[in-house]
Amino acid sequence: MLVSQGCKLVGCGSAVPTLKVSNDDLAKIVDTSDEWISVRTGIRNRRVLSGKESLTTLAVEAGRKALQMAQVDPDDVDLVLMCTSTPEDLFGSAPQIQKALGCKSNPLAYDITAACSGFVLGLVSAACHIRGAGFQNVLVIGADALSQYVDWTDRGTCILFGDAAGAVLVQACDSEEDGLFGFDLNSDGDGQRHLNATIKENEMDNALGSNGSVLDFPPKRPSYSCIKMNGKEVFRFAVRSVPQSIESALEKAGLPGSSIDWLLLHQANQRIIDAVATRLEVPPERVISNLANYGNTSAASIPLALDEAVRSGKVKAGHTIAAAGFGAGLTWGSAIVRWR
Amino acid sequence: MANASGFFTPSVPSLRSRIQPPIGIFRSGSRSPEGFSTRVFCSSTTEGADKLASGASSSESRVPRLVSQGCKLVGCGSAVPTLKVSNDDLAKIVDTSDEWISVRTGIRNRRVLSGKESVTTLAVEAARNALQMAQVDPDDVDLVLMCSSTPDDLFGSAPQIQKALGCKRNPLAYDITAACSGFVLGLISAASHIRGAGFQNVLVIGADALSRYVDWTDRGTCILFGDAAGAVLVQACDSEEDGLFGFDLHSDGDGQRHLNAPIKENEMDNTLGSNGSVLDFPPNRSSYSCIQMNGKEVFRFAVRSVPQSIESALAKAGIPGSSIDWLLLHQANQRIIDAVATRLEVPPERVISNLANYGNTSAASIPLALDEAVRSGKVKVGHTIAAAGFGAGVTWGSAILRWG
Repeated sequence: MLVSQGCKLVGCGSAVPTLKVSNDDLAKIVDTSDEWISVRTGIRNRRVLSGKESLTTLAVEAGRKALQMAQVDPDDVDLVLMCTSTPEDLFGSAPQIQKALGCKSNPLAYDITAACSGFVLGLVSAACHIRGAGFQNVLVIGADALSQYVDWTDRGTCILFGDAAGAVLVQACDSEEDGLFGFDLNSDGDGQRHLNATIKENEMDNALGSNGSVLDFPPKRPSYSCIKMNGKEVFRFAVRSVPQSIESALEKAGLPGSSIDWLLLHQANQRIIDAVATRLEVPPERVISNLANYGNTSAASIPLALDEAVRSGKVKAGHTIAAAGFGAGLTWGSAIVRWR
Repeated sequence: MANASGFFTPSVPSLRSRIQPPIGIFRSGSRSPEGFSTRVFCSSTTEGADKLASGASSSESRVPRLVSQGCKLVGCGSAVPTLKVSNDDLAKIVDTSDEWISVRTGIRNRRVLSGKESVTTLAVEAARNALQMAQVDPDDVDLVLMCSSTPDDLFGSAPQIQKALGCKRNPLAYDITAACSGFVLGLISAASHIRGAGFQNVLVIGADALSRYVDWTDRGTCILFGDAAGAVLVQACDSEEDGLFGFDLHSDGDGQRHLNAPIKENEMDNTLGSNGSVLDFPPNRSSYSCIQMNGKEVFRFAVRSVPQSIESALAKAGIPGSSIDWLLLHQANQRIIDAVATRLEVPPERVISNLANYGNTSAASIPLALDEAVRSGKVKVGHTIAAAGFGAGVTWGSAILRWG
């Protein structure tokens, strides 16, 4: 007998690498400048994994902090959703994170891949698992190490990205307390041509020396190419699609735009954030932005920004947040949520 | 309180009689003048919202209006590459034999992508076949879940599949990575989205090209894997028709050491010539190593965990083992399948197996085997299937389902 239950966001956490790379650092390796980068993107610094750091260690740290804030024991987590495009194992990173967190009841743990929209998708998926299948404590992690797929000789893209992890604990609750009011999620594969990192065969000797070229067998080991982006098209897409999506989510939630306490967008570019805020008539003081310090951290960007805003006292319990992700796929979407 | 591992007979009896299914309205708020309004939770019809709103009374304004809906499996499809590689073919490139492979694994042939084929093209073909069987138009699909560990793009393959299928309403499409358990997870995720957020037509695809990550010089692993795609259309329905009776899903990251393909930095010159080694910046490009597996440990894990999981799912479904019409396991090794069937006392004629022809196709294996069993007339509408996946993570799990 499935009793209807709602869900709410009860804890958050984040983690960033220690190595800070400034615009001036980048100006030493590609033809760019601090002024150019900060004026056009709003980014001043980003963090990059180094040494013994890994995506897993960041995700675990973020997850741990979220559990602590939520006062939920790792043993009570029954689902770990790792939203990432850059796992450390072909088969996903979630189980390793689950192990490192010490979740002794072997909760299901798997990866969701949806680029920069991953975290918002992950939140909705968590809500669905709670409402539709009775899960109780779902840890949603957004973490990416795009620095590993950036072409560091391409000044058009290498200035944009950074590594990070963020996490939120979504918990079952009474239906009346449900904190996910509405959402709107979309994909359009036609836009993949504007933003992708496609698989390519590696140029290497066929170690078995078979008459391979005729037979095509055995196949060669592939790898993913670096990130390719048509910045102009992606910018246009974001500025056009995100306000529409948020308005649609608000409508489904039965909420007016004025009820938004905070606008929390995927942190890709300050100009996108400003344009969307203007379209939605959200004043600057209600817009969350931290990309100056971290750049575009893909699936981590929303929970990272949320965590800083919560721990700094900006976002308080009961506040309504319009969160929206957009990026490769193309995939985009928004969710109207209440914090706590 | 709801059971996290899957009791699936939702009932909201007092509301059912006046709810027109299935419209995916989720909950009520209190923002209209009547003190009650229904929020349409996702992009389905709003006519039900009006009906509910007009039927509401203020005394019920605090009662959550979850229009419960169930889900059922209404179509399946599959696709395999054209290039067939036999055990004898493999014996030419590694030290093995047809006898060794078939006795120890049950595999005789496998298919491998070649030419213009890709995971995406296979997935699209499988999905198209599933939609045709389900008689669902691509435009009516509202979610595409691509279960794969081997996408054609770092950012996932689902959107490209959605585009190729011609889904004009831009339905959400994303990838789920859970190795050989991926498809079963995907089914549960589909069910959750339908029941928990009102989705209507969810396409779940399992597709992998492990041939790309196999070490073709390693006779321990290269004999096992093949490429394929399979798909199922999961559709919303009345709660009473719900066809997902119970499930049981787990992961144990400690087992990752027995089966993995970890990322490694590429040995390449740092083209920027910075004082890199001190700074560790910029990072070198990475790629995934080939599949490494401790076959013995993985075998033991599967034979131990899968029967337990199925029994747990049956218990949660409130169904006895004797009601299983078909045992449908991830097609990894015939010895695993036989051991699990024996433990569960399922007779051989009720065990679905096609790995002799395709090998271990990872997330594709279950929907591929299901599709062949349906189209051959074995699996009929109304049959109860115990499906179980197990593999890298380690992750494992099972679901008790009705076909159709």
